[in-house]
Amino acid sequence: MKKRIGVYVCHCGGNISDVVNVSEVVTAVKDMEGVAIAKNTLFACSDAAQNEIVNDITSLHLDALVIASCSPKLHLHTFRAVAERAGLNSYNYVQVNIREQCSWAHSYEKVSATGKAIQLVKSGIERVIFSRAMEPFSIPAEQSVMVLGAGIGGMRSAISLANVGLQVYLLEREFFIGGRTAQWGDLSAAYENGPEVVSRLFKQIREHANIHLFIGAELISQSGNIGSFEVKVKIKPRRISGDCDESGFNQAISICPVEVPDDFNFGLTSRKAIYQHYPSEYPAIPAIDDANCNFCGACESLCKSIDLNQKEEILNLKVGNIIVNTGFDPYEPTRGEFGYNEIERVLTLPQFKRLVDISGAGKLNFKGKQIHTITYIFCVGSRQGEEGENQYCSRYCCTTALNTAIIVKRKFADITNIHCTRGIRTYGKQELIYEESSRQGDIFLEFSFENMPVVEERNGKVFVRIKDILTANREMEAETDLVVLITGMVPRRNNNIAQMLKIPTGRDHFFNEIHAKLRPVETVIDGVLIAGTCQGPKNIMETLNSSMAAAAKSAASLSSGTIHLEPIVADVNTDQCTGCGICLTVCPFDAIVTAGPEDKPAVSIVISRCKGCGMCLPVCPEDAIELYGFTNEEMEGMIDGLTSY
Amino acid sequence: MKKIVEQNQAGMDESLIDYDVLVIGGGIAGDEAALKLADVGYKILIVEKDLSIGGRMILLSKVFPTLDCSACITTPKVSETARHRNISIFTKTEVKSITRRQDNFFDITILKRTRYVLETLCTGCKECEDVCPILIPDEYQYNQVARKAVFIPFSIAQPRIANIDIDNCILCGLCEKKCPSDAIDFTLVDTYEHLVVKSVVLATGFRLFNPTVLSRYGYGRYKNVMTAMEMERQLAPTRPYNSVLRPKDGKMPDNIAYLLCVGSRDQTVGNPICSQICCMYSTKQAQLLLGALPMADVTVYYLHVRAFGKGFCEFYNQALSMGVNYIKAKVASVREKENGNLILRYEDFSTGQVEEQEHDLVVLATGILANAEIESVFKGEKLELDPYEFVRQKDMLTNPAITSISGVFAAGTVTGPMDIPDTILSAGAAAAEATAYLKKLS
Amino acid sequence: MESSSAKLKVLVFSTDKISDPAIDLAGLLKKHYPAGVYTISVPCSSAIKPRWIIHALQRGFDGVFIAADGTDCPYGELCVPNTANLVAATQIKMEKLGIAPQRLKMAAICSICAEPFVRYMNSFLHDLDTI
Ligand SMILES: Cc1cc2nc3c(=O)[nH]c(=O)nc-3n(C[C@H](O)[C@H](O)[C@H](O)COP(=O)(O)OP(=O)(O)OC[C@H]3O[C@@H](n4cnc5c(N)ncnc54)[C@H](O)[C@@H]3O)c2cc1C
Ligand SMILES: Cc1cc2nc3c(=O)[nH]c(=O)nc-3n(C[C@H](O)[C@H](O)[C@H](O)COP(=O)(O)OP(=O)(O)OC[C@H]3O[C@@H](n4cnc5c(N)ncnc54)[C@H](O)[C@@H]3O)c2cc1C
Ligand code: SF4
Ligand code: SF4
Repeated sequence: MKKRIGVYVCHCGGNISDVVNVSEVVTAVKDMEGVAIAKNTLFACSDAAQNEIVNDITSLHLDALVIASCSPKLHLHTFRAVAERAGLNSYNYVQVNIREQCSWAHSYEKVSATGKAIQLVKSGIERVIFSRAMEPFSIPAEQSVMVLGAGIGGMRSAISLANVGLQVYLLEREFFIGGRTAQWGDLSAAYENGPEVVSRLFKQIREHANIHLFIGAELISQSGNIGSFEVKVKIKPRRISGDCDESGFNQAISICPVEVPDDFNFGLTSRKAIYQHYPSEYPAIPAIDDANCNFCGACESLCKSIDLNQKEEILNLKVGNIIVNTGFDPYEPTRGEFGYNEIERVLTLPQFKRLVDISGAGKLNFKGKQIHTITYIFCVGSRQGEEGENQYCSRYCCTTALNTAIIVKRKFADITNIHCTRGIRTYGKQELIYEESSRQGDIFLEFSFENMPVVEERNGKVFVRIKDILTANREMEAETDLVVLITGMVPRRNNNIAQMLKIPTGRDHFFNEIHAKLRPVETVIDGVLIAGTCQGPKNIMETLNSSMAAAAKSAASLSSGTIHLEPIVADVNTDQCTGCGICLTVCPFDAIVTAGPEDKPAVSIVISRCKGCGMCLPVCPEDAIELYGFTNEEMEGMIDGLTSY
Repeated sequence: MKKIVEQNQAGMDESLIDYDVLVIGGGIAGDEAALKLADVGYKILIVEKDLSIGGRMILLSKVFPTLDCSACITTPKVSETARHRNISIFTKTEVKSITRRQDNFFDITILKRTRYVLETLCTGCKECEDVCPILIPDEYQYNQVARKAVFIPFSIAQPRIANIDIDNCILCGLCEKKCPSDAIDFTLVDTYEHLVVKSVVLATGFRLFNPTVLSRYGYGRYKNVMTAMEMERQLAPTRPYNSVLRPKDGKMPDNIAYLLCVGSRDQTVGNPICSQICCMYSTKQAQLLLGALPMADVTVYYLHVRAFGKGFCEFYNQALSMGVNYIKAKVASVREKENGNLILRYEDFSTGQVEEQEHDLVVLATGILANAEIESVFKGEKLELDPYEFVRQKDMLTNPAITSISGVFAAGTVTGPMDIPDTILSAGAAAAEATAYLKKLS
Repeated sequence: MESSSAKLKVLVFSTDKISDPAIDLAGLLKKHYPAGVYTISVPCSSAIKPRWIIHALQRGFDGVFIAADGTDCPYGELCVPNTANLVAATQIKMEKLGIAPQRLKMAAICSICAEPFVRYMNSFLHDLDTI
């Protein structure tokens, strides 16, 4: 039982005190039993206030601390550290959320909000009366990290991690590395080319002794905690072992009887079941795609390093952190959306990028016709209004579209670009690309969400009709040789990583960080970090920055060699336990074992396996199990606090 | 490069080293980079020329797109930085020169300007402020209120220590007598110090465009034309007044105009690039104004609304649904009426007509410019800048943190305009790259 | 225009990683719900003891709402059946004690379900009002 509790009620500059009468709260609790001091403070998290609290704890010999402020998700650790600095065990600190769950949620009801805040603070005090001092468990931290996805982001994460001395297992699900960047040819913002950029990073990966690259590899199961995750990886058979000379491979590819649409070119071209996307692709050997191969054996007879009987491999690894770099998918328009899949001259930007990349300079031809006029329709699959599926802006596309328009004009003769936008968003230095495309004579029209452009085919000709905001909503129609839909980014389909690693997704369905400004690469699962476009649309530079930031975070958390885990675990009262074993059936982590002498059977908890979920608590018929931090005394104390007058 | 590393592995003398990393600029970028490096175990020095760390962010009101209060996010970061055992901070200090040594370390000269206050003694009680007879415009409130000649910059400053603005001090000595802990000492002088460090992180941030250059908007001439940064202070929890007021007559405004792209995307002022944040901070302020002044109208005159980041478009939709009025227009000029109200003359894209509209307060969303002063500090090696004088990223598409000088890394807005989330990520990248560099050295 | 449901008190058991963030988000987005709604956060919704629920109802709460992890639970899929079982067991106990079982309600609230949370609160309070 605590006898000298310090209570601090934060104004949060006004975020709380504009609604909740903070001094009323202080008055209401200052005479409660066990409270030694109760105060209000402008910003409890500020340095000055922290120092004041530390001083109070030491000079007034406080034995527990309650701070009523923002959500514990923001500052639990900040204030636990305050307690520690003053020599108070950090588990004798309780944070009461009177901002997110009081002043903000009830901002129109000042009186009720103040009343609620009082009950909440009382409940915090009742809880801390019964709290007990605990020490975090320390476990050794594996000096290794698994990176999922070898796109530009994953490669960057891996190199940065390896450079700070960690071992890296880099897993790529496809048979080739580079992710989307490899597909784009000429890139915006720097005069470089996708495959070149990929090969620059790949070179560093190959030369780095700390990086272990697995291709065609997928995570199939995961267990454990930050510091030591145990992961199981499945490596699909590539069905190629070693090197065959180049002509051998080429012959094998040409003899393969199976022809399928080439995903790399978004179906514009086809490939064989044994394939390689472009000559300098990494790794520089083909792969056989099981889904389409009919195992006729024709290729095997031409090249001895083809091995159709190659088996899949399973790998068990132990890593300290996991960085998820699994990227994005381009938005796939629905059939008929701006004529997509109905009118053959309607392409998406990814398809168009591939077309531009694989076409030789001079004339641009598509489906047997030379292209002169190209009409680009922006924000397809993005900014779908308040009710739409994708409300967000995909960020990369304005810049990339205009950059592509510039390249097209440079590479091919007689091109006119018409951009139908919803307001160009070439933010920052990318504005120069917009300027350049204006300067080269591109035409800019602008439509609103309410008046979407219409694409129509009449007598073999394609027309785009638009109401143009820039000319006082004039309706106009242009005949065009090609329509390019500037499709946005969406989360990767068929990605089971989220479920396996328990990564929450945000309102936009991309993976969600804990806090965009405070903890931008961390997820609620300790030790599982996210970076690059799996977290939201980004261009390459932004992908790299977040990947390196994730690497820096990993380095910082693993470098000391130990990880501290929450000591919140279950505890069995062996006097009450009858050893019935019901709890064993509900524990997801096999953390409960039977123990005790034969005449008095009982269960016990394997601390290292217990994750503190508490699933065993309600099933015990004897109420013999408690969870540290959530004991009956604490929970019922809180309820009493909420209902006391 | 290879050769230098070898030579340096041979001739390296760790005992010479004062700090592993010098971080120049203690804004959110510098603090974040320092924290990540310090957590790995490196010894860091942050040199901040201002009186407090926290940069621009510590002075903001709330932050888009979540409307978190900025102080609530900045203060804990800043206090974690100040308290980290591997981080030292010198405020009111400038870096005067950086020179690469034979052994590949850097010789640094810094100038520590005195506060005339003994930092170890000052408790931040503010008693000195009470007795000082001098009143001058408070730069931390963007000159909207006055401060004393001896002052603590703002309530959440880090460190929260008094400073004497000697240019405006009349040396009356009242504060010196009043100070209960004898912290004030007029005999203190500026000092130069020499240090050796292994690497440098540049985090010197940005400047704001000065809108007096664009006289057609009347900033400086018309009192009720203010900048968004000034408005930011009026909306902040540590704000000068307890409400939003017109500078001219202290009246609560009820019809406020925002002008976007002031000093950005404008060749005539030599700044063709977009400032990347002003659309969003204006959208934020518009929402906060509607909260603070429920009866007010807020109109945003824009060319494009660059709501591109995570949650931004949703945030912009939220402003629209709250009733913020967005007009796609080119504003030609602002003129003042006798009552202090302002007439905006603009071309409205939706009608194609030139229109006029009266507002009682005009806020200019001024753009971001490079703070290039750090370039001249490097001796013997050239710190390359981009055409707009931001620090050039040598390899934007594979390693955005490196500059033209090996061992010198860039964090945050020193390389170009960006919001806080992007700043923090870029600072993380600089920390990763600096760590890699230091590992390679040893 | 305060209805009688405005005076009702509801205890929400939320979960640290999934539903409590959603309730925070509701506040952040200024999505208002009645101030009689109080939250206690636990690691997982399947850790709530029936005795706590009954204690709350006996101490004056009009209803208890379990903002369950559902299939998002970081502790695995056992959470869903375990939570359902504890709710059923509690309701049986409630009936024995003469407490209407409708006073305990459960729904899965994901980490961004701010809006659904507010809707649940409004409808739960409304239902309680009619008991
Ligand atoms: C048409 C188009 C043009 C673009 N042009 C430009 C440009 O000019 N400039 C620019 O800066 N940006 C451009 N971008 C953006 C750029 O493509 C992205 O920023 C970049 O590709 C993001 O990299 P990433 O690593 O996050 O994701 P990705 O490139 O998607 O890579 C993710 C990788 O993870 C792998 N993976 C996925 N799931 C798993 C799993 N479960 N296990 C293992 N591996 C997995 C994937 O196979 C892939 O290799 C363009 C985007 C598009 C759509
Ligand atoms: C009006 C306004 C509103 C904004 N609102 C938001 C918002 O709501 N959300 C958001 O995400 N972003 C917002 N921003 C952007 C945000 O302020 C920046 O992203 C952020 O401050 C950048 O941090 P930084 O550390 O790079 O630079 P800065 O904050 O500029 O910090 C640089 C630091 O370096 C110091 N320094 C400079 N030169 C030297 C030198 N030579 N020696 C030593 N020290 C030096 C400076 O004193 C300063 O402390 C806003 C910006 C403005 C102007
Ligand atoms: S970047 Fe441009 S095209 Fe892409 S969604 Fe945003 S506004 Fe639309
Ligand atoms: S962010 Fe918006 S206001 Fe700022 S320069 Fe860019 S377009 Fe203009």
